[in-house]
Amino acid sequence: MIEFLGLTRTYGDFTAVQPLSLAVQRGEVFGFLGPNGAGKTTTIRMMMGILVPSGGRALISGLDCHTQRAEVQRHVGYLPDNPIYYDFLRGREILQFVAEMHGMERAEAGRQAVRMLEEFGLEEVVDEFAVNYSMGMKKKLGLACALIHDPEVLILDEPINGLDPRAARDVQERLKQAAASGKTIFMSTHLLDMAEKVCTRVGIIHRGELVATGTLDELRERVDQNASLERVFLSITDEDTARATAT
Amino acid sequence: MAPLFQSTALLVRLRLRRLVNQLTAASQPKKKPGDKTRTGNPGKKSSQVILYLGGIMMLIGFASISASAMYNLHFALDPPDTFWLTVEYSAALTVGVAFLLLILWTSTLLITIASGELAKPDWDLEWLVTLPMRSDTLLWARILERSVVNLSGTVALVPACTVIAWYSGYRWLAPFVGILAAWPMLLLVALVRTLLDTGLRLTLRPGQLRNLHAVISVLSIVTMYLAISMGLKGKADFMLGVAAMMPDWLAYTPMGLTVRAINERHFADAALLAAGVAGQVGVIVWLGVLLLRRQLRHGVVAGGARESARNSRNTDAGTSAPSRPSRASGFLSAVQRRELTLLGRDRNFLVQSLVIPLLIVGGQLLLGTSGVATSMWKDPNVLASVAFGLAAYSMSMSAFQTLNTEGHALWLLYTFPRSIEDVLKDKAKLWGVITLAYPVVIFAVGAALAPALDWKFLGAMLTALLGIPIYSFIAVALGIFGSNPLEQQQQHKVKPAYVYLYMALSALYVYAIVAPNSTQRLIFMVLSLLLAFALWQKARDQLPYLLDPDASPPARVSTSDGLIAAMLFFVSQAVAAAVIISGGRVTGAAVLISFSIGGAITYALMRYVYARAKTEGVPRIVTEGGGTRPLLGVASGVVAGIFGLAYLYAIGSLGLLEDVTRNNKSYMDLGLWVIPLGVIAAPIFEEFIFRGLIFGGLRRSFSFWPASLASAAIFAILHPALAIVPVFVLGLATAWTYERTRSLLAPMIVHAVYNAAVIMVPMLFV
Repeated sequence: MIEFLGLTRTYGDFTAVQPLSLAVQRGEVFGFLGPNGAGKTTTIRMMMGILVPSGGRALISGLDCHTQRAEVQRHVGYLPDNPIYYDFLRGREILQFVAEMHGMERAEAGRQAVRMLEEFGLEEVVDEFAVNYSMGMKKKLGLACALIHDPEVLILDEPINGLDPRAARDVQERLKQAAASGKTIFMSTHLLDMAEKVCTRVGIIHRGELVATGTLDELRERVDQNASLERVFLSITDEDTARATAT
Repeated sequence: MAPLFQSTALLVRLRLRRLVNQLTAASQPKKKPGDKTRTGNPGKKSSQVILYLGGIMMLIGFASISASAMYNLHFALDPPDTFWLTVEYSAALTVGVAFLLLILWTSTLLITIASGELAKPDWDLEWLVTLPMRSDTLLWARILERSVVNLSGTVALVPACTVIAWYSGYRWLAPFVGILAAWPMLLLVALVRTLLDTGLRLTLRPGQLRNLHAVISVLSIVTMYLAISMGLKGKADFMLGVAAMMPDWLAYTPMGLTVRAINERHFADAALLAAGVAGQVGVIVWLGVLLLRRQLRHGVVAGGARESARNSRNTDAGTSAPSRPSRASGFLSAVQRRELTLLGRDRNFLVQSLVIPLLIVGGQLLLGTSGVATSMWKDPNVLASVAFGLAAYSMSMSAFQTLNTEGHALWLLYTFPRSIEDVLKDKAKLWGVITLAYPVVIFAVGAALAPALDWKFLGAMLTALLGIPIYSFIAVALGIFGSNPLEQQQQHKVKPAYVYLYMALSALYVYAIVAPNSTQRLIFMVLSLLLAFALWQKARDQLPYLLDPDASPPARVSTSDGLIAAMLFFVSQAVAAAVIISGGRVTGAAVLISFSIGGAITYALMRYVYARAKTEGVPRIVTEGGGTRPLLGVASGVVAGIFGLAYLYAIGSLGLLEDVTRNNKSYMDLGLWVIPLGVIAAPIFEEFIFRGLIFGGLRRSFSFWPASLASAAIFAILHPALAIVPVFVLGLATAWTYERTRSLLAPMIVHAVYNAAVIMVPMLFV
């Protein structure tokens, strides 16, 4: 479903993403873990055609994310780490606009927008301008925008970062539902707890390099059978630091 | 006093540091990884230079306006035959000059508020109160700081005070006196501004605040024009009349006392008056700070960050049902509807994009000395130029800003299964239509007032109206290069160089409107259309890189390169000819040499630039692996040549040829030099530019026919009127050959065979 073929990104002399090769199968919930500044958001932005790869390609449903961006977006729903909306537009209007841009007929888009807002528990702020939403509401609205055209793939950048416990649980439930309905999910996070609850497979990226992939159990085996994901994460990213300084 | 001084100094330093950072940030190359500068456009040095030059120009401009305003006041208020220079002003003149200062002060205040942070959601006072200082100290420091760091105030008030000092005999000390004298007034500006923005933020809802901001920005322009009008010949009567009605007590206000203090000859009296100014301003500021403290007695709590739809009266809150599509909105795309919704709700956007352009252009017309404001109703060409100019200027605030209106929400466009280009096209169409409103109104009034509604009126009107959609596309395309949608600072959202480029291109179109005949009009319109396509093509390459801070699109040959090369070719050829001929006789050899030099310079320069930028798709003379097919070139050349000869024969038998040869003596004087010129030099250089770059560039975006027709059209209109038809056919034949062979050799042969035919056959047989 999602494929990275030596995807690379540099900013001047700085390599943000080392050549990254990875495949995510249909129906997987893939957690892209890594400390701050590891290259998670850069990778996701390249998948969305927002950033241009310095080398290699990212493919979704066999389509190139850079050269065939518009076609790719038919299959993809995206939630950025910090969704920013237009001033002076209500949540409902933004959703309706998004649905229309995905080719939905106008009246149907309006109905669908209201339905999504209810489903996401945003009915009470339906007539509030979206810029006034709290972070949790903005993320929920973003998720509604990502899901409104019923995509096969969800690409989520830190979906529960900055949310209160209740909102975080809501979003996690949503994601589990989406996964159960057969969607492929690719999400970045540095919240290990979240990864443990939702992901079927994870990859750990550190300093732009994919240092480990596998199911959580496989990763645990590398360190200690009973280790928490936190210990796994720290040990893997630590090892790497040690190696990097040694060479 | 020590903490006040210290904290003021700190705030001033902070503010100045910010100002310096703002001015220099862009011109310093940054090497930090992950930096937000593009490698493709590393600096904006030139625009910085423009900024500094602009600042100096404005200081000088305001000084000269103040000086002529004072002359005007003197002639209006003083009895005739009095001499006033370097003597004490009469009581009436003192009041008049005080009034001038008052108007300048008011417009400074309004501009400061309009350009300030009133409409911004973040309020820096909320941060400043967290600093460990007494609120008294903080407020005083803030006012003092704002009185020192106020660019627009300095630009308006210091020159005026300097001029007063100059005419009071201070001569070269005048600038220092000017700065000293302007400072108390700047302090008052700072006070009123602080009182207003604090008070307004505490009492008004954010929506009202934005609307008020919109109104203030309109008023600030109007007062600025009123102030400027006092210094203009023939435009000052209104304001001079108002000045004459000013009460005498104006001489006892801070403005009046400032004028008197500067003008006073006796040091003791001057000191007394200055003390009076200081006392008045001191008391006012002291009272103001008391009021500020009262305003802030409940703490620094702004009404709310943004406009809320729920508790605002002017929006239709409470309708959770999806709005039903109205009939009119059925024609509009989702993007266009959204743009209109924002325009309807965001007063600031509305005023900035539609009202301010009207005020600025209107003000220029009324205050200008060209007399356009009256002649436009008599001459349809002037009317159409004004109508087009207004629309084009307005689009620099709307269509040019399409990316900036997306701002930080630009990411949303990348989540849709539509190309960004489509979305921007929708916007270009929308603004092209909205902006038509101005010219339609102007032409309606013009038609009512016009002496006659004839073809001249109709032609000028049509040219102007057709130009607006074209320029809407040009504005959107240039806006893609000229805007920084993710920039926080309002003044950095636009790169000035691109705005100037857009303005310059718009000014070119005015030539189409005033062109003496309809052929030239048509030529200019075709050129503008081609320019719009070329710019749009360049912009399209840029679109996938919009949100990328670092990468730029790979260089590719594009139509705009061809247009630039064609221009370069003509200019370098003309320069070479001027140098070679330099007063001597125009010989065939000179023409051949200058043509070849111009062509070679263009060819070498384009090749060099392409090689440097590792450009893709550079036209080749011979493709690798053969396939150049010279015989195909000969064959199409013969066909085009036969057409050219038939055309020559046809117009010859109509008797048109003699007229042309009589008028074009120089062409006939070239002698045999015309053969190498036409058969060798012209094919090589013209094919490279017109087929290689222009047709090749167009072919990237269009199918064969539109690309070949457009490139043949531009090739044809650059030739003498009589040759347009056969040269157009030649353009088609060469484009077809280039399309078939993908190398320039065959079209060069076509061109050479055609030229040989039309040059040599008449020489041999006529």
